[in-house]
Amino acid sequence: MKNRIHPVLIVITVLTFLFLLGPLVVIIGSALSDTSYLTFPPQGLTLHWFSNIFEVSAFTRTMGTSFMLAIGGTTISMLIGIPAAYALARYRIELPAFLGNVFVLPILIPEIVLGFSLMKSLASGFGLPIFIALLIGHALIVLPYTVRVVGASLNSFDFSIEEAAVSLGCTRIKAFFVVVIPNIRAGIIAGFILAFITSLNDVSISIFLTGPGVSTLPIQLLAHMEQFFDPTIASVSVLLMGVTVAVMAVVERTLGLTFLTK
Amino acid sequence: MSNRMRAWLIATPATLLVTIFLVLPVLATFATTFGDPKGPFATYSAFFNSRFRTTVLWRTMEVALVTTFISVAIGFVTAWVVARMPSHLKSLLIIAAVFPLLTGVVVRSFAWLVILGKNGVLNNFLLSIGVIAEPLSMLYTQGSVIVAMVYLFVPLMILTLVGVLEGIPQDLTDAAASLGATPTAAFRQVVLPMAVPGLIVGAVLVFTGSFTSYATPQLLGGEGQMMMGTFLYQRAMVTFDWVGASTIAAVMVVVTLATVLTMSRVARKLNPMAG
Amino acid sequence: MTQSLTLENISAHYGSTQVLEDLSLHIAEGELVSLLGSSGCGKTTTLRLVAGFLEPTAGTISLGDRDLTRLPAHARDIGLVFQTYALFPHLTVRDNVGFGLKQRKISTAELKTRVNTMIERVGLNELADRYPANLSGGQRQRVALARALVIDPPLLMFDEPLSNLDAKLRVDMRVEIRRLQQANGTTALYVTHDQEEAFSISDRVAIMKGGRIMQLDTPEVLYSKPSSAFVANFVGFDNMVEMEVVSDGGDVVQAQMAGGSLIDLPKSQFTVPSKNFLFAARPEGLSVVTDETAVGIPTTLGMRTYIGRAYQYHCETAAGTLLANGPQAQPFSLGQSAMLVPQPEQCCLLPNEV
Repeated sequence: MKNRIHPVLIVITVLTFLFLLGPLVVIIGSALSDTSYLTFPPQGLTLHWFSNIFEVSAFTRTMGTSFMLAIGGTTISMLIGIPAAYALARYRIELPAFLGNVFVLPILIPEIVLGFSLMKSLASGFGLPIFIALLIGHALIVLPYTVRVVGASLNSFDFSIEEAAVSLGCTRIKAFFVVVIPNIRAGIIAGFILAFITSLNDVSISIFLTGPGVSTLPIQLLAHMEQFFDPTIASVSVLLMGVTVAVMAVVERTLGLTFLTK
Repeated sequence: MSNRMRAWLIATPATLLVTIFLVLPVLATFATTFGDPKGPFATYSAFFNSRFRTTVLWRTMEVALVTTFISVAIGFVTAWVVARMPSHLKSLLIIAAVFPLLTGVVVRSFAWLVILGKNGVLNNFLLSIGVIAEPLSMLYTQGSVIVAMVYLFVPLMILTLVGVLEGIPQDLTDAAASLGATPTAAFRQVVLPMAVPGLIVGAVLVFTGSFTSYATPQLLGGEGQMMMGTFLYQRAMVTFDWVGASTIAAVMVVVTLATVLTMSRVARKLNPMAG
Repeated sequence: MTQSLTLENISAHYGSTQVLEDLSLHIAEGELVSLLGSSGCGKTTTLRLVAGFLEPTAGTISLGDRDLTRLPAHARDIGLVFQTYALFPHLTVRDNVGFGLKQRKISTAELKTRVNTMIERVGLNELADRYPANLSGGQRQRVALARALVIDPPLLMFDEPLSNLDAKLRVDMRVEIRRLQQANGTTALYVTHDQEEAFSISDRVAIMKGGRIMQLDTPEVLYSKPSSAFVANFVGFDNMVEMEVVSDGGDVVQAQMAGGSLIDLPKSQFTVPSKNFLFAARPEGLSVVTDETAVGIPTTLGMRTYIGRAYQYHCETAAGTLLANGPQAQPFSLGQSAMLVPQPEQCCLLPNEV
């Protein structure tokens, strides 16, 4: 009696989920098609296009770059983001209120504007190596995720535990590592994952910072799509979807996926 | 060491990263737009006097607004149903919404290339059931851009709103019922007003996201459907008109910041729960 | 237009677990009945069934001569005060109070007058245009009360309404609730886990356990004449000793306690219910006396605590450890031998359920 939902709403919901998942099915299907052009439903099944990925050096090279960037950029943002989140949560009175907003700026400023500005000042202005400029850009755009997600778990952290550790003879630094970090582990993992996936999928920053010889996978995909239209792109996409599945499995294991609606 | 000093010390590396690599470069970008010999605002008057440039701006606004409205409508209905599902089905549906969200923009836009193309899935399907005789050209239209953008942002809207709706305590709808409100009245008078602030926050995310998007209009809109993001890239990297690109950048920043600031103020005003 | 509430043979399930078993209850017009019990006893389930948030698997619920059983919650016309208050955060005090009247589509003028009168009655005039977030716990409680009362319901229900308030306010508010309920003469169902609260404001109290009503009586009867060991324990008979009648002659019944020792119970003071029975006593129902010739339970005194009006002792007896009170004037020492003399008015004898 209480949970009756109007059938029209149910129909809309079913259609919405078909809309959400259908295109992904199309990609998987066309990656398996035994044709030299993209088509769905697949005609004949083959894994040829997956092996083809590894024969196109542009894909393997940019894939390597993308993973290195995602790991490197996320690690940098974690190393400086966790302390920042800690400072914001622990010293709420000592720090000015606007500081919290400063760390959200990389989301607030359109990424493409940021990419353009970084390109002008770093790559062009200071002549920084492309990979370093990319690394900085990626660390920057994922910083809001690390600060926010870690901050969320710090906000529910009871700092008297830390004081208890200090009263029992821990130094402050040691207390941070043996008491604070283990208790915000979930936030750190979640922050890392969100940051990693954001960096891996980024286009708007990378499009400006890639250059001769150094590119990322999404940029390479974009370029490839504009010239060729064969199932290799679909198989790379499936590969990237595999990464998403792996990431979701990790989230599910550590936090439960409902975490993402909070 | 005082707490204040310690706090600043810990927060310094992140603050420096943002200041040096975001605030300064973006300010530098703005600065170049005021350096025109014809006067500090010459680049802006050139921008707003150019029919082509303003068309791009209005088109971007239009696409972003339409995308936002559609995403909010679909997202709200879906979230409402999802929030009402028994818990294991609910987690399944949430997974189904998270999955596309975590999949990259390029991949998700690419799917629509395959679907909407001349020899695409949709055309083949329509031809085979005989609804059309000739393949339709659906790509590189405003419609194709909007469909792909809605596709990008609906999951975000669903997840945001499921959170919002689940945050409305059951006790409140029970209380409304005990006071004589029919389910429809309770929805209109309690659930909806309480969901509006969260809805606005979600809508702002969608609007700014689609307003500043690059990959989707690039792939599905092409030259003919140039939007602010693709326009900026074209000016910067194809014609190397950096001042022009900087002007576009400044307009984008102003529009997004103004939207975020006014709408978050509206959301806060509508949200007496915050005190 | 207050009405009586009748629950007949109600059963309820959550999934496959039964939470209420064949429960019947009648609340007369204008009467306030409390459901008292620990969490999981079914008291809140009962209230939610009456409110219409749950459906019973069997039985009927009626208000006056109206059958509520299958009526949707919004058509039941019951004033309900929630544990969390459930105030609408997006509405002012005034609009919260007016919410129910607005659903009833009465004229704006009448709505205004009735809301204003009610706000005045609960003393919230100054705060009428504030939002719930800007009110204290006690003020929110008043709004919740006003909101439920203003629709002039034939039945009022309270779901642990005071559990989020501090001790002092709790006492004030329960007096206030009782005052308003009696002034309107409204029938009321009150759910709580606090015995003092239930006893202080109710006409009758139903003590619940495992989805059933164990005893439904006035607070006075419950306090002095519990009908079962469970209720006795619940209302403070901390000591339970199993006894068996060994001889029944003249003015005295002689009984043997668990552990072997004998005790004489004068018939003028105690009514033995059966051959095997339970002797239940509050700590103040067993006086610690050092006079070894006194009639009672022999003991060795253990730990002593001071409880204000008396000293309380953990007493070792053949039947186990008992709690008993000794005179305030004279503390006894650990290990001392003594007698525990039953005080009839603080003891009761129950048929043994074995």
